[in-house]
Amino acid sequence: MPRADVVVIGAGLAGLSCAAELAERGARVLLAAKGMATTHWTHGALDVAGVSGAATSRAGIEALRADGEHPYARLAGDVEPAVAAHLERTAAQGLPHTGDLDAPLRPVPTAIGTLRPAAIVPSAQAAAVAPWNGDGLLLVGFSHYRDAWAPWAARNLRRATWPEGPREIRGITVDLPWLERLHNLNATVLARLFDDPVWRQRTLGAIARAVPSGTWRIGLPAALGLERHAEVHAEAEATLGHRCFEVSSLPPSVPGMRLFEALRRRIIGAGGRIHLGFEVVEVERDARRVHAVHTHAGARTLRLLGDTFVLATGGIGGTGFRGRRDGTVEERIFGLHVTAPPHAAWFSDDPLQPHPLEAAGVRTDDALRPPELENVRVIGSALAGMHYLSERCGDGVALASAHRVANELAAPARAAA
Amino acid sequence: MTARAVEVDVVVVGGGATGAGVLRDLAMRGLSALLVERGDFASGTSGRYHGLLHSGARYIESDPISARHCAEENAVLRRIAPATVEPTGGYFVATPDDPDDYLERFPARCAEAGIEAEPVPLDELFRAEPLLNREIRAAYRVPDASLEPWELVDANLASAREHGAQAWRYHPLTAVERGSDGAVVGVRVRDARTGEEKAVACRALVSAAGAWAGQVAALAGAELAMSPGKGSMLIMNRRMTASVVNRLAPPGDGDIIVPVHTVCILGTTDVTVPDPDDVHVTDDEIHALLADGDRLVPGLSGARVLRAYAGARPLYDASAMSDGGHEESREISRAHHVIDHGRRDGIGGFWSIVGGKLTTYRLMARDTADAVAAALGVDAPCRTAEEELPGPAHGDVYWLGDRLAAIEQRGGGDADLVCECEIVTRARLDAALDQRGDSSLDDVRRTTRLGMGPCQGAFCTPRAAAVLDERAADGRLAPQAPSPNAAMRGFLAERFRGTRPIAWGEQLTELWLSAGIFRGLLAVDELPESAEPAATGGEGTHAAS
Repeated sequence: MPRADVVVIGAGLAGLSCAAELAERGARVLLAAKGMATTHWTHGALDVAGVSGAATSRAGIEALRADGEHPYARLAGDVEPAVAAHLERTAAQGLPHTGDLDAPLRPVPTAIGTLRPAAIVPSAQAAAVAPWNGDGLLLVGFSHYRDAWAPWAARNLRRATWPEGPREIRGITVDLPWLERLHNLNATVLARLFDDPVWRQRTLGAIARAVPSGTWRIGLPAALGLERHAEVHAEAEATLGHRCFEVSSLPPSVPGMRLFEALRRRIIGAGGRIHLGFEVVEVERDARRVHAVHTHAGARTLRLLGDTFVLATGGIGGTGFRGRRDGTVEERIFGLHVTAPPHAAWFSDDPLQPHPLEAAGVRTDDALRPPELENVRVIGSALAGMHYLSERCGDGVALASAHRVANELAAPARAAA
Repeated sequence: MTARAVEVDVVVVGGGATGAGVLRDLAMRGLSALLVERGDFASGTSGRYHGLLHSGARYIESDPISARHCAEENAVLRRIAPATVEPTGGYFVATPDDPDDYLERFPARCAEAGIEAEPVPLDELFRAEPLLNREIRAAYRVPDASLEPWELVDANLASAREHGAQAWRYHPLTAVERGSDGAVVGVRVRDARTGEEKAVACRALVSAAGAWAGQVAALAGAELAMSPGKGSMLIMNRRMTASVVNRLAPPGDGDIIVPVHTVCILGTTDVTVPDPDDVHVTDDEIHALLADGDRLVPGLSGARVLRAYAGARPLYDASAMSDGGHEESREISRAHHVIDHGRRDGIGGFWSIVGGKLTTYRLMARDTADAVAAALGVDAPCRTAEEELPGPAHGDVYWLGDRLAAIEQRGGGDADLVCECEIVTRARLDAALDQRGDSSLDDVRRTTRLGMGPCQGAFCTPRAAAVLDERAADGRLAPQAPSPNAAMRGFLAERFRGTRPIAWGEQLTELWLSAGIFRGLLAVDELPESAEPAATGGEGTHAAS
């Protein structure tokens, strides 16, 4: 039966980066997850603290930690090393980023033509956060690709308050007749097409002919290749003669898939194991400690023994929690107590405003240990006290909490080795 | 605010099934008629019901007149509007909680009302409906069915137009004009989108405003005390039964399951409410519906609920004059009443049609049109029961798989799906907008089912809004239509309104994922009121050369 120093449950950014760091530091780590996680739903920028009004992520963290219930109240010191390690790790896997905690939070365009703040982004989005210095913004969509809305987005952006923004904003739809028979294209399929050098050359050529004169930064659908992303991005800039960046649209998120893949490779490369598609179905425990979890996939049940179990299953969105009709919120693996607002106060009236229930989570001690179980740690968005969508802090909390736990758990493993 | 004069024989107020039926009936008798509706057609009670074409068996005890009406009209609707009816059949079943005496009286009462009710052996019942409670001790088969309200209203309006009638949506009634003898001589309406006031001269006014009939009557100077009965329903994520299932008991809360398209609807509560526009679903109702639903299908309460909604029944208590003290509106008759306000209030040329069921809409329309036609000296008979409604051929009931099969057969670019859950293609969305270019996305939903599936608009809302924008840029969006941005915000708010009351379990996770899309990924909260108009910056499609 599989045995590990640390069993990490959950394959989102928190679980992946925790497993990666543990493996890098010599721990025997096994990551089990019931499926892909919310990386596949994201825009690809690293949300550390894109708090409205904050000039940098560092300032954002300071603002958030002032609320003593926020995960940053105890994790603030972990963010910087965690982010640095993450950027090093992803760069080594061919997914370099720009930015750090002191990089200015700048508005970047969304697929519908609104602005959201970002400071730390993968290279393919770097042109969106660099000062505009008189460049124009050209958004590009493709006919027969239903998830890029460049003309609408451009006309929305022209109404946005965008200090020191682009010289002018345009949005065009480039007709790509060769997409016609491939209906219901999503970003993943498009990215695989871009991986093909022949298809890519033809398509970039068509885009190049549609680019008006002038100096532009070109926003393309976030689908510039999966396997050969760096090559695709470089070729796009060379062919179009302008800097290019990716604009994320509806899931599946290609930038998120690249991130997932980079971390997966890192974990395997460092000697960790990943069981994806294996849902935890049973827990062996006594009053204070977990001894094993059982996972199930297909016909087999596996018993995973570990010294420590890291819960990285996310909150309600990631299905780590289940909100019940009676108004209670259940943590689904270990049954940990979840702090949540009363049922009547779960939602705000406006679907675009934060819901109080988003702050639901597990309260822990400084080691991110829940009160019930001494060899369990809780990381990522299962932690109580944040509104990750409006505070844009989910990635920072994931990385910092993962680092905090990996740092603690790797030390004895290394000592023993 | 220019007043535009229009002259017709009859103005019909209310664009639900009854109003559309009255309009058709009048037009077929050769009268010129105009229907005005304050919102979208079938957006009030007709669009917010459970989808059940009653056999009548539900009302055999509480309301024998209504039961007989339902039985007769059930047969008529199957004949004249086959494309809107899915002939699911229905069962009345006795659970251990249902009274013995009701069960004993049931066959005789059905026979009295002219309803075919055939006893069904239990093993046959459970073979057909394996999820039903195995403690059910008796069952009868009745000719219940599933009825699509939006297509039915559309078909009536289309038929009325073929006979020369007009129908204006988004035109609330603002005033009723009366002559020196007190009779109605005209109405004023306002185009809700443009603010334009329009004057309409008429010889007769019919209020088919249902639960809102009191408000229409007040504009004419009459008092009409409606007792709107709020009915709340839950949409379950899938069909739990293949047929309509009712309980052998006096009507209760969660005692009907109606399979509708890909889902089933569990209904219906009944609470008298003061305001038909204030019909939110309460937690207590949800718990009552699910608890009762478990008696029919054990475990139903643990299944995924997609949405909660409520409608306002157009109940009118003919016996109690306006004291309105009913807690339970179920005792008030479902049968309809044609109120002649000339006789009742001295307001000639004004009728209100109240009460009734969607199943009996045609009968209600007939009785109303009979009264109006007689008063206007027209003796043409009602022909609505004989002439089929326009629509797809017999038996061509919409089934989700049909759409998929059609797409697979055709292929090509127009097969791009805007809404994956309900298989709404770009071509279908365009066709709906070609027909009604002034639609909000919620209006489009009523004709296409856009956004009605499990994700409740998470993916299709921005796609559909972008289609609206593309059409706006090409000048193919009516000027009075909401802007694409407003349409998007409005649709999100509307979808949230129905999800919020039942947001637990998987549907709560779904809500969180859509929040991730709308707030995290797309920052919809930053969306401007409307986009800059097109044709200022060289946008458009660039052909690959």
